[in-house]
Amino acid sequence: MNLDLCAFLILLAISVAIPTILFRLLRPSLNDLLRHTLKLQAGVTFYLRSFLLVLYLAALSAAIGTSFDLKPGSRFMEYVWKDAEGVSSSLEKTLWFVAVYLVLITVLVATLKVKDDE
Amino acid sequence: MTNDRYLIVSYFVCAALSIALGVLVYLYLRRPFAGVANAAPSRNFPSMLKRLLPCGFVLPALLGFVSVSYRSCDHSEYAEIIANRGYLVAKNQEQISSILFYIAVAVVFWNLVALLLLRVGKGGGDRTKSRQLNE
Repeated sequence: MNLDLCAFLILLAISVAIPTILFRLLRPSLNDLLRHTLKLQAGVTFYLRSFLLVLYLAALSAAIGTSFDLKPGSRFMEYVWKDAEGVSSSLEKTLWFVAVYLVLITVLVATLKVKDDE
Repeated sequence: MTNDRYLIVSYFVCAALSIALGVLVYLYLRRPFAGVANAAPSRNFPSMLKRLLPCGFVLPALLGFVSVSYRSCDHSEYAEIIANRGYLVAKNQEQISSILFYIAVAVVFWNLVALLLLRVGKGGGDRTKSRQLNE
């Protein structure tokens, strides 16, 4: 198999694994939090599905954007560095979106709590 | 396949992919969003939001697709653009990346809309009721 393609597939696999692990780690607590905050089950489903989508879209967006334009005859470590570059941008984008989502959920919980307290 | 033909085919495949991804994300979020939209106080507002939702994913996806330009400092002429297959593949990757990014931004935007709907409507927590029951 072409080494460029092989390195790209490894990067894709890592970029799918990162959001999968993050979602599996955060899902139970996020689900509980949303269930306690929202009356509507549809709201809970909507926010969970959105979180899943945002994680995958952000990670894959960064991974697919990484171009493997290495010269023929490049050494093994050059492919590893290129993969590391892709994982770096994938992690960066994912974490930015998680941060935005976290702010959104905080505002959701805070505003609905204020409403309840009223 | 010549580079010229590859450019034509890949361009329209990416355009179709952007629409397909927008529609898929819409279908995935359509039902839960409808449930949230129904919590809105007005009668016509939920219906308007539900009709707007597909546009809210397909248009950002298309925007992501068209936002990538093939022309750059080193590739200003058509002949220069199609000279290198690697450049065309990199541009396709950039297009798909941009499509996914714009859809992610759209998802966050619709989350914000849902938040406002839940705040204004009746979708908030049930804790007051449970507190009263406890007392």
